[in-house]
Amino acid sequence: MNSIRKNKVFMAVLYVLVFLLLAEWLTPVMSLTATAHKPLFLIFIGLGLVMALAKVPWWISGPVKTIYVLWFIVYVYTGQGFFSNSSIVFLWSDFTANFIALTSQNWAETTDVFRTVLFFALLWMAVYLIHYWVSFRLSIFLFYLLTVVFIAVLDTFSPYTGDTAIIRIMVIGLMLAGLLHLARWIETHRIPVKIDKIATYVIPLFLMVAASTAVALYLPKSGPIWPDPVPYITSFSGEAGTGPGGAVGRIGYGVDDSQLGGSFIGDDTPVFRAEVEDGQYWKVESKDFYTTKGWRVTRNVGDTIVYGNEQQVDTDFAPGDPDQETTALLSMEQDFPFVLYPYGTKSFLMNETPDYEYDTADQRFDTFLNGSVFEPELYEVEFSEPSFSLTALQETSVEDLEELPAEFDRFVQLPDELPQRVRDLAVEITESSDSVYDKTRAVERYFSNNNFEYSQQDIPIPEEGQDYVDQFLFETKRGYCDNFSTSMVVLLRALDIPARWVKGFNEGELINASDGRDVYEITNNNAHSWVEAYMPGVGWMLFEPTIGFTGSSDVEFDLETGETTPEDAEMPDRPDPLQPEEPEMDEAGTEISGPTVRERLNQFFTENKAKIIWSLIGLALLAALLFKMRSKWLPKVLIPYYRTRSGSAQTFEKAYLRLLKQLDLYGIKRGEGQTLRSYAAYIDSFFGTHEMSRLTAAYERSVYGGNGDSVDWHELKESWENLINRTSG
Amino acid sequence: MKAQERLEQVIDNIEKVIIGKRNIAELSIVAMLSHGHVLLEDVPGVGKTMLVRALAKSVGADFKRIQFTPDLLPSDVIGVSIYNPKDMEFHFRPGPIMGNIVLADEINRTSPKTQSSLLEAMEEASVTIDGVTMQIPKPFFVMATQNPIEYEGTYPLPEAQLDRFLLKIKMGYPSSKEEMEVLSRSQISAPIEDLRSVITLEELIRLQEEVKLVKVDETIRSYIVELARHTRTEPYVYLGVSPRGSIALMKASQAYAMLKGRDYVTPDDVQHLAKFVFGHRIMLRSEARYDGVTAEEITDRILAKTRVPVQRYVGQ
Repeated sequence: MNSIRKNKVFMAVLYVLVFLLLAEWLTPVMSLTATAHKPLFLIFIGLGLVMALAKVPWWISGPVKTIYVLWFIVYVYTGQGFFSNSSIVFLWSDFTANFIALTSQNWAETTDVFRTVLFFALLWMAVYLIHYWVSFRLSIFLFYLLTVVFIAVLDTFSPYTGDTAIIRIMVIGLMLAGLLHLARWIETHRIPVKIDKIATYVIPLFLMVAASTAVALYLPKSGPIWPDPVPYITSFSGEAGTGPGGAVGRIGYGVDDSQLGGSFIGDDTPVFRAEVEDGQYWKVESKDFYTTKGWRVTRNVGDTIVYGNEQQVDTDFAPGDPDQETTALLSMEQDFPFVLYPYGTKSFLMNETPDYEYDTADQRFDTFLNGSVFEPELYEVEFSEPSFSLTALQETSVEDLEELPAEFDRFVQLPDELPQRVRDLAVEITESSDSVYDKTRAVERYFSNNNFEYSQQDIPIPEEGQDYVDQFLFETKRGYCDNFSTSMVVLLRALDIPARWVKGFNEGELINASDGRDVYEITNNNAHSWVEAYMPGVGWMLFEPTIGFTGSSDVEFDLETGETTPEDAEMPDRPDPLQPEEPEMDEAGTEISGPTVRERLNQFFTENKAKIIWSLIGLALLAALLFKMRSKWLPKVLIPYYRTRSGSAQTFEKAYLRLLKQLDLYGIKRGEGQTLRSYAAYIDSFFGTHEMSRLTAAYERSVYGGNGDSVDWHELKESWENLINRTSG
Repeated sequence: MKAQERLEQVIDNIEKVIIGKRNIAELSIVAMLSHGHVLLEDVPGVGKTMLVRALAKSVGADFKRIQFTPDLLPSDVIGVSIYNPKDMEFHFRPGPIMGNIVLADEINRTSPKTQSSLLEAMEEASVTIDGVTMQIPKPFFVMATQNPIEYEGTYPLPEAQLDRFLLKIKMGYPSSKEEMEVLSRSQISAPIEDLRSVITLEELIRLQEEVKLVKVDETIRSYIVELARHTRTEPYVYLGVSPRGSIALMKASQAYAMLKGRDYVTPDDVQHLAKFVFGHRIMLRSEARYDGVTAEEITDRILAKTRVPVQRYVGQ
């Protein structure tokens, strides 16, 4: 009988259609990756298909294709003749270069030639796969579907326009699918291949595809029912402007903080550049009145002090060690009517002679020139980072807080509506800490240890009657600096520790470094907020609760060495964001033993409860799935297991019972009253074997006859494996 | 196996005469090997007598036939002592029971007195007359027949008496093809006349001893017991299978295993014989008769629901 696969004309038509379909794949790839020489690639595909069609043996087709690829490389990259010394030199040097790059894992150093080779390999594989689909499976639907999806996706998300390509693909694909259906039909029903019979199928197929295409082209098309999804999708990936609903804002320095929350999208518009020794936090102002939704400034408190150029300013952060004094040069790229200042600022200097009006209410230096608002462009700040004595900090006591003057009242202000659980949480966090400093540090660390997540996406705005901090602490646990800093301030205030919310910019990105002077570029992305808290007897200090940010106060470890080990001295350092917890400061270093391990474990479990539960559920589901599917994979385990076992009757009996179970799982159930022999006869008639009866006879002899010695497991093994393999099919 | 070959020959021999009834021949041999007796229940003319004669000829045994009639007396079965005036002594004249293979035809036609004399002889394999006990020669095998359709003037065997028979077999009609074969073979002469014995009585006795050695595994014993127990709890059953019935099933299974060339019993043997061993031992309630349920159906039902032991016996 004549197989349709042997009909050269028919197969040639199929391969031509496949070639056209592959060309449709190549077109967008070439245009999107700006690759030239499309005809040469097409020739390669054509060459592969022709050789596959002509059933050229692999030891001819392989070298032919390889030589073609080499010729292509030489031709495209050097333009020289292929049969020349220089081409061999070129290929060899390129090969060695790539080989070295690959072995040293320098992926970036591989050359274009290497990528070309990879692309050819890809094409080679594609041709082989399609040849397999068409010639052996007689089915192309999957590839057809993939092509449509590929073009549709490219058309939607890339500059490539697949308007006509999609029509061509539909026509080619329908023809291919139709012809392959015919081929499968002929194969399965063993219809003799006759040209007139094929024609009665093929001609209507052509006509139908042509007619439906023509009608489809001619008919008017309605507009898309769905809105174009691309802007919506890209808005999620942070490439577009403000998304729908106004819930997504652009990051940057703003003035109004009375309504915090909502998602942010990045914005790397530069704000200023700072030339400075080390990266600094640049403070603008602080806010003191928490409204349950955000921050406001209390009016009519504090004084306004006016300074001039180079005049020593008096902020809440006195300059530190004069020896450490340094300057920062700020060049603004956006206009602000104030100056940004680092911690420990001593004085400002700029070419103009403005008034620096310092407001103690919000600690902002507004700049005025000749009575009108002035936006400085370039100025120098002289400062020395303040440092704090750890000894003094350890001595800050809660009792001192009660004796603070009334002017601190506004820094412990909290709205009456603040949920009690926030206050309870504050107490809970700081229970084990004694000094005010330790309590503050405990609150600062709380966020990095309790599954809080830094994110600018999908951050909700609190609803009517909902507290911003409460929502973050107990519901979302996701947020950016505003969430973290506001929450810390509120938690501190709940403990009557004076605290305020500070706005400004963080260090920014180091763009240039030379002899001790680094240039940082600060963009809108660097707009930041953090916390200042008042340590009684010490003063105001900077704290950074936001996960992943590293701003900190400089704390001197001036504790007496007799009491502390070097490890202890390390401890008050800012915790690494990843470090789970920090041992207690006032504990002797040697006491970290049993209970801490248990505590750590407890903490680990409480922190990762959700993860653990989900992992367990996942494992349970996986186990259930594996159990459900056991008839599929069990034989793969059983065969090697029993293959290695000794040839005793016991092994055989176990193996036989396994087989019974496996057959049961396979779906051939043995009735309660059915004997093994009649079951075996049924199994054998089902599989068309005689092996089950053979095994059963041996099993009966062993179990009922009590004559296990007569069983030769090695001899029966093959039958057993054969049967158990069938059950996994 | 030697025994199997010999027994196969006997069966082949019988098949020459009784066409298409290999199963019946097998069962007869099973009963004979395990010292049992067979109750053949069927209409006249299906070859019951021929079967027994063929069996007797094949094993070279002495064949006796007793036609039971209402006026038959026990002495007509077991024999009688006759006074000889010459030597002034009583001489024992053995009855037809004193044979190797006895066909008790239409056993339900005779009086219970005569029936019980036969059944006693079957059970004891000996007869006692005038205080003298006489052994019946070995092997001793009774095949009784009864006609199930005529009840007029019959004395149905009480259920307890039926227990004495190892197997109850129904002969059944031959298929049309078999019947045509029967016709063609019987055209010239009865084939029974050409039968030669293929096994001696001594061999048969030896095989009877060998059967007792066929292994019955714990699992099989528990299976038999389970089957018997189930007959006692079936709702339709008035009286289930007695322990004697369990023993009968085990012995029959042993013989069947030997017939099949095995030295151990498998559940298949038990299942094959259960119907014939249990059929006449299960007494049904009258509801069963109204619902048309037979003891054979009950047995099938029990076989279907009793778990076949497939693993080594580990006790309970």
